[in-house]
Amino acid sequence: MGVFDGICGFLHLGGRNKVAVPFGVLFKKFKSVLERNNRILTLMADMGDKLGGEYVFDRRYIESACEELSDQIFKLVSDLSILNRCRNVPLFIAFEAVRQEIADELAGRHHFPDTPPTLPLSALRADMGEAAGGKFAMLGELKNVLQLPVPDGFVITTGAFADFMAKNDLPRFIRAQTERLDADEEGAIHDVSAEVRRRIQEAALPRSLTRGIAEALDALGKRTGGLPQQLAVRSSAWNEDGETSFAGQYESVIGVAPRDVPEAFKRVVAGAYSPEAWLYRRRRGFKEHEAVMAVGCQVMIDSVASGGLYTYAPLTRKEEGIFVSAAWGLCAPVMSGEVETDSYLIGRRAPFPVISREIAHKPRQMLLTGETGAAYADVAPELADAPCLTDDALGLLGEASVSLEKYFKRPQDVEWTFDATGRLFVLQSRPLVFSGQPERRTGAIDAATAKAEVLFSGRGDVVQRGVAMGRVHVVRVDADLDDFPFGAILVAHHTSPRYSRVMPRAQGILTDIGSPAGHMAAVAREFRLPTIVGCGVATEQLKTGDEITVDATQNVVYRGLVKELRYFELTEEAVYEDSYEYRLLRRLLKKITPLNLVDPHAPDFTPASCRTYHDITRYIHERAVAELIELSESRTGILDASARKLRSPLPLNLSIIDLDNEAPGDTREIEVNALGSLPLRELMIGLTASGMWATDPVPVDMSSFMSSLTRTLGVGGPGSEKLGRNLAVVSKEYMNLNLHLGYHFVLIDAYVGDAINDNSLYFRFLGGVTDFSRRARRAHCIGKILERADFRVELHDDLVVGRLKKFDAEAMRAKLRLLGGLVGFTRQLDVRMSRADDPRCFAEEFLTAIKPVLEDAHDNA
Amino acid sequence: MTTPDAATAAPSRRRMLILDDEPIVVKRLKPTFQKAGYEVAIFTDSASALAAFEQTPADIVITDLKMEGLDGIAFLDRIKALSPDVGVIVITGFATLETAKESFHKGAFDFVAKPFKLADILDVVSRLETFLTTSRHAG
Repeated sequence: MGVFDGICGFLHLGGRNKVAVPFGVLFKKFKSVLERNNRILTLMADMGDKLGGEYVFDRRYIESACEELSDQIFKLVSDLSILNRCRNVPLFIAFEAVRQEIADELAGRHHFPDTPPTLPLSALRADMGEAAGGKFAMLGELKNVLQLPVPDGFVITTGAFADFMAKNDLPRFIRAQTERLDADEEGAIHDVSAEVRRRIQEAALPRSLTRGIAEALDALGKRTGGLPQQLAVRSSAWNEDGETSFAGQYESVIGVAPRDVPEAFKRVVAGAYSPEAWLYRRRRGFKEHEAVMAVGCQVMIDSVASGGLYTYAPLTRKEEGIFVSAAWGLCAPVMSGEVETDSYLIGRRAPFPVISREIAHKPRQMLLTGETGAAYADVAPELADAPCLTDDALGLLGEASVSLEKYFKRPQDVEWTFDATGRLFVLQSRPLVFSGQPERRTGAIDAATAKAEVLFSGRGDVVQRGVAMGRVHVVRVDADLDDFPFGAILVAHHTSPRYSRVMPRAQGILTDIGSPAGHMAAVAREFRLPTIVGCGVATEQLKTGDEITVDATQNVVYRGLVKELRYFELTEEAVYEDSYEYRLLRRLLKKITPLNLVDPHAPDFTPASCRTYHDITRYIHERAVAELIELSESRTGILDASARKLRSPLPLNLSIIDLDNEAPGDTREIEVNALGSLPLRELMIGLTASGMWATDPVPVDMSSFMSSLTRTLGVGGPGSEKLGRNLAVVSKEYMNLNLHLGYHFVLIDAYVGDAINDNSLYFRFLGGVTDFSRRARRAHCIGKILERADFRVELHDDLVVGRLKKFDAEAMRAKLRLLGGLVGFTRQLDVRMSRADDPRCFAEEFLTAIKPVLEDAHDNA
Repeated sequence: MTTPDAATAAPSRRRMLILDDEPIVVKRLKPTFQKAGYEVAIFTDSASALAAFEQTPADIVITDLKMEGLDGIAFLDRIKALSPDVGVIVITGFATLETAKESFHKGAFDFVAKPFKLADILDVVSRLETFLTTSRHAG
């Protein structure tokens, strides 16, 4: 605390005799907050860009980027400490919590997820393997992200498993047994295994777990309309379905009645100590403490036909397809090889034509029975020799194959089943151990790409790497999404989060304009959907039905299908998205970029609610403006400058601190012309004379209009008027203006004097809560306007920064008027952007409308 | 880390050696340059990279600077001595940009700061190819 004591001492904050602090000192800190704010937002956007796959980065980058970010946030909190007289302890605590989480993540110290004993499948995602085990985390991803049909259920977590083991003193017992194995593995394994499994079967479930299972079954019954008669209880160990396949090593119990789930749980846990599973782990270098198992429970599907498939079966050098094996009844006997199966080979692209089929004699099938679980039964004679899959069913399997392979970027080995109504369910998907022929791989690739016609390359930004092959489907209006064909490549003028609804069907996305940091980009990454935004010419060069290949890793679009590229990708040694660095950066960004604090009028807009660096940054920006106003208004004599309200016909709620003011006691409202500030005067002319503010908003989509535009400031709950106010610090030649309009911020910093070299203008716009596509388009439109007005423009999602320097005073006045008009215009843009028009049109419209106001500036010069 | 997987490749295929102590970097670069038609060998330690280069010199080498053991500059010295015509591109973090400049004096063609876009390094390699062709004709 030494530093802070020093600061507080300097400000005489604790003391009784308040000495005036020169305003200049505080204002310098305030500006430092604003500059740092910008630096932080840019850093966060840069880190997000690295996930796309276009960049090569290493661990050192991740470390140094996190370090710089933490450093900047710390200094940001420290800067605010000077403004708000050290009342910052909760912010430092929030900062320290996030920083510690980041440090732990970088050091590889995982936080053991503190979960309830069970989690519903709907709550699981791929990155939850620690709590849910590999298999169920992946099934959660398939169901919740890829929207594939997966039987509903829940998982008994690794935490519950650990609790069960500990309560029964099993870890100590197993460690002791392990010593026997170390001494004589081959000789002792059968005895040791039998002893450990017996102990597990005889152990008692902790009461919390019994209760958790009962509650999870209850909730499952509510979701599925009645308690399921039978469940499949399956292992979901750490690493299962990860890099080491463990296929078939662990036990599953099918046909389990709900009341028998606790017994089945113990059976599955005991299965981890079968001689085969135990030796498998030991011989692959797994430590005993890594034998951690979650156990999943899923509704059993009353299967009509089931089987397995390989998403990629290369037959000869020419042909490739999806290989399906299928039998009547449940899936289990197909996997264990106990029944005869039909074999089908179908094409790898929609509509998945059947290349060949071999129909087997299938006299037996396994079916669910009421009480005893599952049992073999005879197949009706007329069905025994009939194909168990129709072309339609094969088509559904084809679609699921493509979705899985697109996501995992690896051929997959999939288990599936169809129920009596013909609904498909995916039971499991794991990487197919696949040995590509090296000479075919590298020999063909450069020849193929050299031969293929390049439509365009190196344009735009890669949002998600990967290879996409298929027919173009151009989307101009929402209705074009309704008939989006499976396996097509979406081509559109701009990015839109509305496209997320067809992402499970799409092979890839190309847009003319758009930001790699936008919302659509985030969703495309979730789907690992090869996506390039900002290509410029996509809709111009491509039309619906064109066959193309997108190499979103190299950023090239080819005419026709370059199959070699897909083969090359599927046989790559390592999948980038599975690399440790990718996963690490992704986990870290979750602690950095999400914004939870959006509404300064909300009761939880507090330091204690800051959960990410973005939250802290946002809070401090808001707080810093409020502090400066409060300080200057308070009559305690802390500050040698005071704030006065600006009198304006517009509801700006703007407080002015005039650095040239010689009568600091005066707090009456003031007219802009009574202030000697040239920049503020010109800006206000632009704002009022352009009529931009007064223009009636387009009366569409009132709900959005209400939510984001009519939120005038200070209308929140009691005390909320302290936050979200507007402030300008001015002098004759200078203005620093902070405007908070609705949910977006505008910051303008201007200096206009006689020396041309000193003249500068800085404009920053940060969008706020409204739907993401509008934000992105609004930012794009503002960027266009600024560019046309000679600003140097940077765009990051909905952050727009424009800079301009060294224009003469006359030109600077015109630029300020333009910015004034733009401030008014931004208020309307949101609503108007609900139309899917080209943002450039609005830019032109604005530039035309503002022209007379600018000419007037020249006339009066 | 691995050996080249294209022993059967056409003789015209150009050889590239990539060395970086972080596996993620070499793993990302390998397929990129395979697609561009190179026979690519990747390494994460300079000793095995040097041993491989002594066996079969590469036409182009992409190397990191800051590594355990023999560092990038020393590695550059050794391969330039073995094969003066080799084209070398240095990839480095911002922290070592100063030392990267030193690599120019040792005969590196260019350096690229990490993190970089794949397109950037492909550009540098194609400029290097042009340079190598011209200087070969000139020589």
